[in-house]
Amino acid sequence: MTSRAAFADGVRDVAGLVPGVAVFGLSYGALIRSRGIDPIAGAVSSLIVGAGAGQTAAVEVVVAGGTIAIAVLSALIVNARFALYSAALAPMFGRFSRPWRLGLAYLVSDQTVGLYGRGQERWTTPALQQYYMLGVTVPMRTGWVGGTAAGILLGPVVPGAWQIGVVVPLMFIALAIPSIRGLPELVAAVTGLVAVVALKDLPLGLNIVAAALLGMTAGLLVRQRAGGASVGAHASVAATVEARAHREDSADST
Amino acid sequence: MKIWLIFILAAIGTYAIRVSGLALFRDEDRMPPLVRRALRMIGPAAMGAIVGSSLLLDNGAVRPFGAWHVAAFAAVALAAWKRSLALTMLGGAAVFAVLLLAQGV
Repeated sequence: MTSRAAFADGVRDVAGLVPGVAVFGLSYGALIRSRGIDPIAGAVSSLIVGAGAGQTAAVEVVVAGGTIAIAVLSALIVNARFALYSAALAPMFGRFSRPWRLGLAYLVSDQTVGLYGRGQERWTTPALQQYYMLGVTVPMRTGWVGGTAAGILLGPVVPGAWQIGVVVPLMFIALAIPSIRGLPELVAAVTGLVAVVALKDLPLGLNIVAAALLGMTAGLLVRQRAGGASVGAHASVAATVEARAHREDSADST
Repeated sequence: MKIWLIFILAAIGTYAIRVSGLALFRDEDRMPPLVRRALRMIGPAAMGAIVGSSLLLDNGAVRPFGAWHVAAFAAVALAAWKRSLALTMLGGAAVFAVLLLAQGV
């Protein structure tokens, strides 16, 4: 029962998810190139932001001619879901030392947040759980940054006729569909999709922010209407994201 | 320069969000219910908006129906079926490539 074994266990649990994130990184890197974004800045963004959806939202706003403030705001709205993950991880991370807590918080992603339940089951002390979570998160961030770098390097050899930009809707479909767990989420997603087109004449790429907020509101209203029925369904995010990670895991390894 | 500033500010803001729950709420049950519900909805809503922007629009105009839309439909079907990130993207890209080849590009 060593820290090394806990780390290796985390790596094993996440291994099936790394190819997916590497392909996502490859697409993001190719997007950076095809949109004429500074390649070094694009690669660094994967390291320092570490959240592909938010990074892509910022790039889309820049391409649409948006200001710095709107690009940053778009990224942060897309990344707001991390507040939920953060709260879900608080009971476990609260027992870690401060550097570990702050370091691991930096590395957690959509795909890894769900694995903490497994880590808590198998590794009983906070000291070992830290290493398990490190083993889960480091391969994912490495796959993301490595995929981005590869996409940036390969980008220029991709002919324009290939229309590489098509990977953007594809990767967001891949991310969004598993997050749709009921009617409220479906309404939120469809409203966001329709509203961004309806509001296309808003200046500075503001339509993405406006559509995301409209979609969120629509989802909340549907949720409110469903009211009593969904109170019982208030499973903690822990359980739901964990279930999702397990599903993705088994899907990827088959 | 502008793009560097955007990524650096996005990195700082995203990190602040990443630690916010650890600092403010300690655990999910202490989060106000409306905040929790809103955070659950923002992910699907924002991703729907990005799909709409990148798929249905092209430089601010509505994109004419074609290979992009068919590939997206294939990706939706694959994602709903397998929920695998890699399979959805590779499958959608494969459909798109076949359609481009069929058009003789």
